[in-house]
Amino acid sequence: MKKSNDKRENLNRREFLSSATAAGVAAVSITHSGPAGAEEQVEQKAAAPGEEQLAMEYEDPAGYSADEIENFFVKHPGSDFMVDVVQSLDFEYITTNPGSSFRGIQESIVNYGANTKPELLTCPHEEQAVAMAHGYAKVAGKPLAMLAHGTVGFQHAAMAVYNAWCDRVPVVILGGNHADATERRGGVEWAHSAQDAAAVVRDYVKWDDAPHSLQHFAESMMRAYKIATTPPMGPVVVMLDGHLQESGMGEQKPRIPKMAPTLRPVGDPVAVAEAAKWLVEAESPVIAADRMAHDQEGMDLLVTLAETLQAPVVNLRGRLNFPNTHHLNQGRGEFARADVILGLEVNDIWGLVSTLQDRVHRTEKRNARPDARVVSIGVNDLYLKSNYQNFQRYYAADLSIAGDAQATLPSLIEAVQREMSRARRRANTEREEHFRAAHAKRHAQSLDAARYAWNASPVSTARLYMELYQLVKDRDWAMVSEDRQQSSWGRRLWPLEKTYQYIGGSGGAGIGYGAPAAVGAALAHRAEGRLAVNIQRDGDMMFVPGAFWTAAHHRIPLLTVTHNNRGYHQEFMHLQRMASRRQRGVDGSSRIGNALRDPEPNLAKIAAGMGCWSEGPITDPNELAPALKRALDVVENGEPALVDVVCQPR
Amino acid sequence: MLSANTIAAEEADQAKMDGRELYMSYQCWQCHGYEGQGGAAARVASKDYPFDAFARFVRHPNMMPAYTPKLLTDDKLRLIYEFVRSIPEPPPLEDIPALGQK
Repeated sequence: MKKSNDKRENLNRREFLSSATAAGVAAVSITHSGPAGAEEQVEQKAAAPGEEQLAMEYEDPAGYSADEIENFFVKHPGSDFMVDVVQSLDFEYITTNPGSSFRGIQESIVNYGANTKPELLTCPHEEQAVAMAHGYAKVAGKPLAMLAHGTVGFQHAAMAVYNAWCDRVPVVILGGNHADATERRGGVEWAHSAQDAAAVVRDYVKWDDAPHSLQHFAESMMRAYKIATTPPMGPVVVMLDGHLQESGMGEQKPRIPKMAPTLRPVGDPVAVAEAAKWLVEAESPVIAADRMAHDQEGMDLLVTLAETLQAPVVNLRGRLNFPNTHHLNQGRGEFARADVILGLEVNDIWGLVSTLQDRVHRTEKRNARPDARVVSIGVNDLYLKSNYQNFQRYYAADLSIAGDAQATLPSLIEAVQREMSRARRRANTEREEHFRAAHAKRHAQSLDAARYAWNASPVSTARLYMELYQLVKDRDWAMVSEDRQQSSWGRRLWPLEKTYQYIGGSGGAGIGYGAPAAVGAALAHRAEGRLAVNIQRDGDMMFVPGAFWTAAHHRIPLLTVTHNNRGYHQEFMHLQRMASRRQRGVDGSSRIGNALRDPEPNLAKIAAGMGCWSEGPITDPNELAPALKRALDVVENGEPALVDVVCQPR
Repeated sequence: MLSANTIAAEEADQAKMDGRELYMSYQCWQCHGYEGQGGAAARVASKDYPFDAFARFVRHPNMMPAYTPKLLTDDKLRLIYEFVRSIPEPPPLEDIPALGQK
């Protein structure tokens, strides 16, 4: 016997869900139209069901008893509604390594949602799936969703979640789980279920929830998105109960609430006015900016502030906040001269003024002037957790303003302009000349330094960067990797003038971020028609090389050039430091545990095995430019390519 | 018979080779690069400094690990010094098109 005689079954399923949600979805439209460039991905899309298919879905199949119908088939599965919720948040993609704990929503995404907004991106590892979302968000300015398998998927994902947490990047993680023990199939489904499934990452996500109903799910998704994208941003988790996904909706009439983003918090105006006064009165104000610029507007505002004050800007490594071609872009040496230091979203304020020597006795030393005053504007104090210590050393700033720095800059600029006297403007002109000369000198020194080992084999990292730059310079390029381990040649010699051209590093310094984050960032650049360039460290590539398969499979154009120094080079130096400190261990013992030799991983073959065009290993510097050109041709055809280059250590 | 000059030149070459081997085996390359160009630490190639300054830098460093005479004898240190001083100057900027201004 048919138990349900719900009138809604006469409706088209999508009409039903749309009508069920319309009341609460003022700003949300449920659409199944494809994104720009969708034709490139056509093979990834499931066809939207036609009338015949829909009729099949809503009519009871002939030839089955009522009990069979009850047992074999489900109408209006909860995961279809979950997809409506996810689509309402305008996610372009959802990264995943498949897992049975979310088989319900996976099916809904590909068949009900036509695998469009979000489109599933297949990842051979959950760490990769999260890191891709991490890289994507820093370019696109909005989060991706990620699907994590219960227990095992979360444990694989954990490292990348921690990186995103440290780097203040939003990722919306949806996790499978079977909460009701009596509903679990025997064996693996128990191993993939947990009493408190998000506990494994709770120390480094902003918020998590395990909804008990579809309405609960819808509201928690809105809350999760809102929390993830409100500074300080970070990853969030919403669990997808297996029973909720797979069961029919029955009498439930869930609605999708309106997504109401939270405005970024702005610093207190009185405190901002005081900061402006200090900065204008200062003889040597210095600005430090770390994870400050959310987008180009942030950079433009900082340029205005710096030029108004003629204050040098030290761009820390979190984001590209300031153009490195600007005469006020200066180095950390400025902190020693400063009488007022303004830190914008600087995680380590203490580190601006002090250092701790890596000696047997870790003595600290103040590098800044004793009378230097420090102003901090940022969201660090608004949300912290205790266990993981990425918040750095405590420092009592002279003026600490809670607020998003980019959102606070307009009022700070206005206050500075109000305070600025004619005499001060004249004095600033003298500063301008000084910094123009200093900037030119630094650039000349960097160019001169790049000459050394130019013809060496292994290839110098300076040559790697500059041969590559010659190829990409006339295109709309973006670096999607961090350059710190290559003597910072990117930031020293490539003209970085747009925020999207450099997105910082992993945040938590967890290896395995580089390759997948580059693929994620390249995915975001693809939508803008930009050329994404990844300088890939060999040790990092060994963690999740499957990222290159994802790039090949989903046709994500990305030019990767390896900085292959045959080892975990940072650790070489750490081990040698320990050995020297103990008066032993020369003659190469530092390679033990650190070198990637015997056999040397063939990174080109690894990439090729993932379906990615590749060439190398290249050891002759004269072979570099032609190989890069061949790789660029591949990338310009919409495919990923990798050139493996055996390089100098740094 | 080899002339005194030839012998001296061969000895100098041998010293450079020994110095390079020592530079590698004592892991100087880790921070200073295989060619002394610098990287994680300062460039040591093509710099004009006396041996005493070089030795002070190695024995009583500011940042790098200290290498004592127990680990690295004065004789070996001198060979390393001779090697880094022998590293030829790189090509001038104007001969490297890839380093041309944008």
